[in-house]
Amino acid sequence: MGHFTIGVVGKDRPGIVAEVSRILFELGCNIEDSTCTILSGQFAMILVIGHPKLQAVTEVDPAFDDVRSHMGLMVTVHALKEGEVVREKTFSGHPHIISVYGADRPGIVYNVTRELAMRKVNITDLNTQVVGAKDRPVYVMVLEADIPESVDMKELEKVFDRIKKDLGVSISLRPIETLEL
Amino acid sequence: MAILPILKFPDPLLKERSAPVTGVDDGVSSVIVDLLDTMRASPGGVGIAAPQLGILKRIVVVDVSAHRRGGQEQNHGLLVLVNPEILARGGKQLVREGCMSVPDYTANVQRAQWVLVDALDRDGKQTILEAIGFEAVAIQHEMDHLDGILFLDRVVSVKTDLFRRKKYR
Repeated sequence: MGHFTIGVVGKDRPGIVAEVSRILFELGCNIEDSTCTILSGQFAMILVIGHPKLQAVTEVDPAFDDVRSHMGLMVTVHALKEGEVVREKTFSGHPHIISVYGADRPGIVYNVTRELAMRKVNITDLNTQVVGAKDRPVYVMVLEADIPESVDMKELEKVFDRIKKDLGVSISLRPIETLEL
Repeated sequence: MAILPILKFPDPLLKERSAPVTGVDDGVSSVIVDLLDTMRASPGGVGIAAPQLGILKRIVVVDVSAHRRGGQEQNHGLLVLVNPEILARGGKQLVREGCMSVPDYTANVQRAQWVLVDALDRDGKQTILEAIGFEAVAIQHEMDHLDGILFLDRVVSVKTDLFRRKKYR
């Protein structure tokens, strides 16, 4: 059993998913995990696929040559080693939502994520956008992060207070309250 | 009196409509005990419905009192609801729900903020009760199971409402 990640990026238009999935179907691949999004008109998709026999990138990659040239898609294929396909999700810690917003300026993402990385906080989802009027752009970042038990939340909030002042942004940090039913 | 395995989607029983029970007899009482045992054995679990154990009877149990936020809101503690019916509902709230039968996802689901429920309690006595907040969400989620409805059926937007579960307890 071989596993691959496939990344697809290109100008958004109808039919990209159908073409990519046709190629995978004809190769005999199983789409095991996938997600896609559209960023500023660029369609982006990432898939994890499995195949009962194929193991090498060279056995999969050429199948996408046609969509590369005809649909202008950038397709990258990467082989996963056995054991790299993780199904058990074993992060420790508590899921939180951190929202940051303020006048657009360089360094917002970096300043916040650097502090998280230093504390071994794992970012599990990240969304950034520039919204608002052209002459008054507002930067919005919402991220989901798993905060380990060991992190001193009071201290982290103090650090965020400092970033708020330095960058003139608002930051809120709150636990994700999931009802387990 | 046992912790039973929880059915996971795509088990077809989860999409069935459960039947009302005729009263709280020994059979129903023992289902209630199994539901309580199983719910309490599930980390963080605040509710469970009989069809999640493969028992197609209209019985649910809910207890949000131990939940970090639910416990701070007005709640009834342990609630056993047999043949529950929602008589009235009001308001709206968006709460992130997880379901032991759909373990790979959590989702924001819009529910009523307040419900008025008619049900038999665990002694078979007719009761009418009001629930708000997280307890109301839990009741609505569990009652959906009685009609074969999963929270995935109520997701409005993949982009903003559906979340891959990034962590298992």
